[in-house]
Amino acid sequence: MTVEKAYQILYGGALIVLILLIGAMVIRSIIGPRSTDRILSVNMLGTMTICSIAVLSVLLDEGYLADVALIYAMISFVAVLMMASMFVPSRPKAPELDEETAAGNEKETE
Amino acid sequence: MTLEWIRFAIAAILIVLGLCSFGAAVLGVYRFGFVMNRMHAAGIGDTAGIFLVIASLAVARGPQMDTLKLIVLVFFLWFTSPVSTHFLGQVEYYTNPVLRKYVKRAGKTAPKAPEQAKAPGQAKAPEHPGKGGDNAAD
Repeated sequence: MTVEKAYQILYGGALIVLILLIGAMVIRSIIGPRSTDRILSVNMLGTMTICSIAVLSVLLDEGYLADVALIYAMISFVAVLMMASMFVPSRPKAPELDEETAAGNEKETE
Repeated sequence: MTLEWIRFAIAAILIVLGLCSFGAAVLGVYRFGFVMNRMHAAGIGDTAGIFLVIASLAVARGPQMDTLKLIVLVFFLWFTSPVSTHFLGQVEYYTNPVLRKYVKRAGKTAPKAPEQAKAPGQAKAPEHPGKGGDNAAD
């Protein structure tokens, strides 16, 4: 009886901490100066959302929320890959080199 | 009853450690000044944080079918997090002119590489080279 109450307090507090961290990552994704900062913040936010769904599945004693967390992990992964692939060309070339180092450096960068 | 409290203590320690890992990841993402360093910090939350939190949930839940789903979730994140981090590093490499400058200088003269390694991280935050997508801050 008291153990269940203690579990509820523990995981409720964990959810509150996770909400604060998710809010911090939302702010980071807004102020991130480059696009990669934003994608990284969204990736981190997705991980913490998965974590909070898993905590909620134990807190509410609902088994199907674990499935929801698993699906959310897959969707988050695909979303990060799609957002990142908008900035990479489909046939990526090696970056441009200046004249003096082009000859010596060509093999390494390709 | 005592056994239940021991299990609760193990679950509490694990979830506090996991939340500390997430806090360290968020702190690193805020404090570091360069995207590659931020990826390093975010990797802590993606691996250690989710593992410790899910381990705490598995201890609290006991041997059930849902515990197996949560363990599958941890392994899925462990496999997908390096992939997305690698892809983000590729994006940064292709869209950041300052990083390209550093790469070609490091390839030219190997002994000068440690000095140049500091240059992008510090000089980068004010500069924000405009070629990399939506630079709304500029």
